[in-house]
Amino acid sequence: MSMTLRAGAIALASAILLSATPGFAQQQSGSTLDKILARGHLIVGSGSTNPPWHFKGADDKLQGFDIDMGHIIAKALFDDPNKVEYVNQSSDARIPNITTGKVDITCQFMTVTGARAQQVAFTIPYYREGVGLMMKAGGPYADFAALKAAGAKVTIAVLQNVYAEAMVHAALPEAKVDQYDSQDLIYQALNSGRADAVATDQSSIAWFMTQNQGRYVDAGYGWNPQTYACAVKRGDQDWLNFVNTALHEAMTGVEFDTYAKSFKTWFGKDLPPPQIGFPIEFK
Amino acid sequence: MSDLSIFLDEVWIARFALLKGLGVTVSISLLSILVGSALGVLVGLCLTYGHPVVRLIVRAYTDFVRGTPVLVLVLASYYILSTVGIDLGPFQAGVLALSVFCSSHVGEIVRGALQAVPHGQTEAAKAIGLTFGQTFTSVLWPQALRQVLPTWVNTAAEMVKASTLLSVIGVAELLLRTQEIISRNFLSLQFYFLAGFLYFVINYGIERLGKYVERKTAVPS
Repeated sequence: MSMTLRAGAIALASAILLSATPGFAQQQSGSTLDKILARGHLIVGSGSTNPPWHFKGADDKLQGFDIDMGHIIAKALFDDPNKVEYVNQSSDARIPNITTGKVDITCQFMTVTGARAQQVAFTIPYYREGVGLMMKAGGPYADFAALKAAGAKVTIAVLQNVYAEAMVHAALPEAKVDQYDSQDLIYQALNSGRADAVATDQSSIAWFMTQNQGRYVDAGYGWNPQTYACAVKRGDQDWLNFVNTALHEAMTGVEFDTYAKSFKTWFGKDLPPPQIGFPIEFK
Repeated sequence: MSDLSIFLDEVWIARFALLKGLGVTVSISLLSILVGSALGVLVGLCLTYGHPVVRLIVRAYTDFVRGTPVLVLVLASYYILSTVGIDLGPFQAGVLALSVFCSSHVGEIVRGALQAVPHGQTEAAKAIGLTFGQTFTSVLWPQALRQVLPTWVNTAAEMVKASTLLSVIGVAELLLRTQEIISRNFLSLQFYFLAGFLYFVINYGIERLGKYVERKTAVPS
């Protein structure tokens, strides 16, 4: 099915869904927090095909930075990081699965936008992302300046998105943009010579280059800053506050070591420990 | 290590994931083909012999479902039903959506086949004193079945292919499993080729089954 038809189908289903659930954000009784505590485990929506965020290892187990965020919240809830069930969902399902209550929370490299914030409630951000350009090592273009100078001669492979073309053109105004359905296909386009570079999240590029040492180079230019946050149902301040507390303390407080270890595993960087004394927010 | 041995090594590592995906694809396809076909025969009967009111309702159902993309049916089964309190899991919602889709197609196939049986056959059956039930099972259905089989094989193969859409609601079928494996080792072409081959094997099995039933039900010459 073409992406246009698929997007249309999803839009139609979402419209029916929203019209069928007036005041969909309202909780029937009590907070999600109480329901989760009574249930005994947390239900997190995430994906399974995008390293280093959420993917399956050789042991067929889910892992990645998003998955670790789920464990951090489960630890805060039950003092046991493993009391969590991951619901496998496509990117298209991130918002519908929250609004229909299929999951308690979604942690799936979700970019915070105003439009999305009208549908779901975002937690505090847990990562800052940017877009980068990756090329084959030893190719015709040495760096970003060479790509830009080549103008309309270069083809950039990028993930399908409404904003994909504009996003690439913000960095390379004249480049030809080819959009693909999945991450592996943009890499395939680069390998087969259909594209001169791929434009994708810097975290994905860093991960891919680590897995394939010496075969690729980063063009050395980053743009399109965006924040990643988990998302919960609107109108449940209790639950939102709890998740915010858990994430905040992972990034600045008692669970910092867990967050820093995960950061090192998936992004290869050591985070400086938060300073003791005056709270970090007021600096 | 050569490219082939790297690929074979990765296939070995991913063998359980692939088998699980294959199992889910086969069971979803089988279930929806079975349920959809049974429902489809009913739909076909209603469309051919039903009371005008029943015929109108079933006609509306068939046209509505046939005119809706399978992905919309999948999303509707998963999301819209849960807003009215029927909270189906991804697997159940997937089977429901594909069965409904299958039933509308099989229904039309059955209707066409039944209408293709000459009216004189029914009259002859009546003349020798058969009831409608006897006429249907002994006279009409055996003839209609021969017409139904080739197109039914097509519909069944369509169901197998449509099962790939269920990854949208998180059913870990063969394609999603393949994508998970590719996201780890980036051997895109090799693993997509393997998945394609496995889908071919499933559909080839369905085709052989269809051919077998065709042979069994053929008029002896």
